[in-house]
Amino acid sequence: MNLVGITINHRTAPIELREALHFSKNEIVDLIPKMKEDLFHEGFIISTCNRTEIYGVPKVSKLHFQNIIDFLLSYKKIEGLKPEHFEKYFSCGAVKHLFKVSTGIDSLIVGDSQILGQVKEAFEISEDMNFSKSVLRRIFDVTVKVGKRAIRETEIGEGAVTVSYASVQVVEKIFASLDKKKALVIGAGETGELAAIHLKDREVGEIAISNRTLARAEKLAEKIHGEIIPFTQLKDHLHHFDIIISATSSSDLILTKDDIKQMMKKRKGLPIVIMDIAIPRDIDPSVQEIDNVFYHDIDSLEVIVKQNMKKREKEIPKVEAIVMEELVSFFSWYNTLEVVPTIKRVREFFEDIRKDELDKIKNKVTDDDFAKLEDMTRRMIGRLLHNPTIKLREIAEQGTNIQEVETHSVILKELFGLNNGHSKNYNPENIDIPKKEGTKVD
Amino acid sequence: MLATIHFLNILLPVLYLAGLLVYYYDFTKEVKGLSNTKRIFLFVTLVIHTFYLFARTVEFNHPPITNKFEIFTVLAFSITFAYFILELLTDIRNTGLFIIVFAFAFQLFSSLFIEDLIEVQEVLRNRLLGLHVISALLGYSGFTISTVYGLLYLMLYKAIKISKFGLIFNRLPSLETLEKLSFSSLIIGFILLTFAIIIGIIWLPSAFPNFSYADPKLVVTGIVWLIYGLVIGAKISGFWYGRKLIIFSQIGFAIAILSVIVTIVFKASFHSFY
Repeated sequence: MNLVGITINHRTAPIELREALHFSKNEIVDLIPKMKEDLFHEGFIISTCNRTEIYGVPKVSKLHFQNIIDFLLSYKKIEGLKPEHFEKYFSCGAVKHLFKVSTGIDSLIVGDSQILGQVKEAFEISEDMNFSKSVLRRIFDVTVKVGKRAIRETEIGEGAVTVSYASVQVVEKIFASLDKKKALVIGAGETGELAAIHLKDREVGEIAISNRTLARAEKLAEKIHGEIIPFTQLKDHLHHFDIIISATSSSDLILTKDDIKQMMKKRKGLPIVIMDIAIPRDIDPSVQEIDNVFYHDIDSLEVIVKQNMKKREKEIPKVEAIVMEELVSFFSWYNTLEVVPTIKRVREFFEDIRKDELDKIKNKVTDDDFAKLEDMTRRMIGRLLHNPTIKLREIAEQGTNIQEVETHSVILKELFGLNNGHSKNYNPENIDIPKKEGTKVD
Repeated sequence: MLATIHFLNILLPVLYLAGLLVYYYDFTKEVKGLSNTKRIFLFVTLVIHTFYLFARTVEFNHPPITNKFEIFTVLAFSITFAYFILELLTDIRNTGLFIIVFAFAFQLFSSLFIEDLIEVQEVLRNRLLGLHVISALLGYSGFTISTVYGLLYLMLYKAIKISKFGLIFNRLPSLETLEKLSFSSLIIGFILLTFAIIIGIIWLPSAFPNFSYADPKLVVTGIVWLIYGLVIGAKISGFWYGRKLIIFSQIGFAIAILSVIVTIVFKASFHSFY
């Protein structure tokens, strides 16, 4: 198999280079026709914030990996990008790497749930642009299958692996359903926004935003369809909320223990979850001493993240087993592609001989005898070719080594002289058959 | 029939222990597909236990409520039965370990010391007494389950408070769910105990010439009933919830256990039959 692949990812290059080499969907659509023209018969591009991967079947037999890198650099001028920043894969290695990528075990966050969708999107673009043929399409199907199996059969994607998601996991351990709960996000920066989105994803009943700069609060509130609590009136509204997530960039405490005590009085002691994911912290950590106040900061949430990461890492061998299983299955299929034409040609060759010999005696025997001879020779050819056909298929299906399959095919073609043209050109005089005593050649 | 009863007497604690181990294994390892298997196993155990209780009633001509060890096997059954219904209704399958352990303990003590009683006091063959005892036992089973869920609530509460995200955090349902389970089983227990008390008040004076409302068991049962009534009232009125409510219901259960000990100590009670 001629598939080649190059990748730049979190293992090979710093984030600045990965970001610089990121291709948007429009850029990929723009790039594919050029790749078709210069490099590949067929291929595809996967590009996410953490990796860019290019796979293809080269137009020329001796395509150097550097050609692909040069091609990319001619499209995007990136300073400091070196060949060492790329991993290179070929044939079986390329397919295996692609399978691993689709399962998320090659991602920065092991078990990343988004990567399979991104891989699928890359395939769809390739298909839409007529940049994939039967083998690549089969690779697409199996890759998606591997990704789905990893999710279904292992726990590679289980548990929260980001602080904001871990905070939601803790909230779910306190409240049975979130649809009737009210949440307040203090701070409308990147972390606050992420937390608000997670809460919205978990269908929290109501979400409110409070931020020192009103415009930013309004922007985020609009995005998540939430309300705005003016920052100056924050303390007056605290008791309305069951969940408070604070993620401001304030250097001082925003809420003291007394503030929370007052709030709990107004709440008549109803449980409240306070997630302080700001650095430095926004809320006095001693509030965790108050009854029914569940206070967590980044350090405590990191414990969950680390635990879940460990759990996911334990699942990697199971995922790798799935990858290997599907890899063997894929190459069993792929190798049969090599032997099917050979088997077909051998059968045609024997059939031509049979017909040729039958034609010679057609006028020398009765119709009845001819029919018997026709039937007998057909069965004879069938029996003669049964074992070689089965054996060749077995060799193809059992191994991932294409060389072995090719060797057997070549030997077969050589033995019967099938390399030079069609079997119709069969001439018994051209075949050197050893003549033994008692062997008769007409 | 007697041989079957003796065989089941040995088999039942084994089944409860096996069920306990399956629930323990699933709680700690979270094995896919085991949650259905353990439920079926528990159901089979309940069916066999029902047959055992029925067989004893027929063979010895009285319901198995005439002594401590007969009552223990009924308790084991009623606790498991109540939990099984709760698991079916809520589909919360990770808490069985903490409930079945009680069923196993009761059944083990019952199986070790139970005897083939044919001669019992005539009063113990009364149907109203059967109803009175069965409803009281089911009521106490409800309180036991409520207490277990309350304890789980307190364990999870502490785990979250001190950021200990281990097995308890990962495998138990949410605090709100545990509170709901605890309160629901408490309500069921309270209703059944109320029913048992009503039957007692109607029937006991006519059945026992030495009946007295000042009997220690009646007094303590009354106190237990009042405490649980208070807990339910406080919860419904929105006055108490969460940890405070759970702690108070634990106190109720402690007093209920005390009531059993008190009645054993005060042998002079008319309400003691063994």
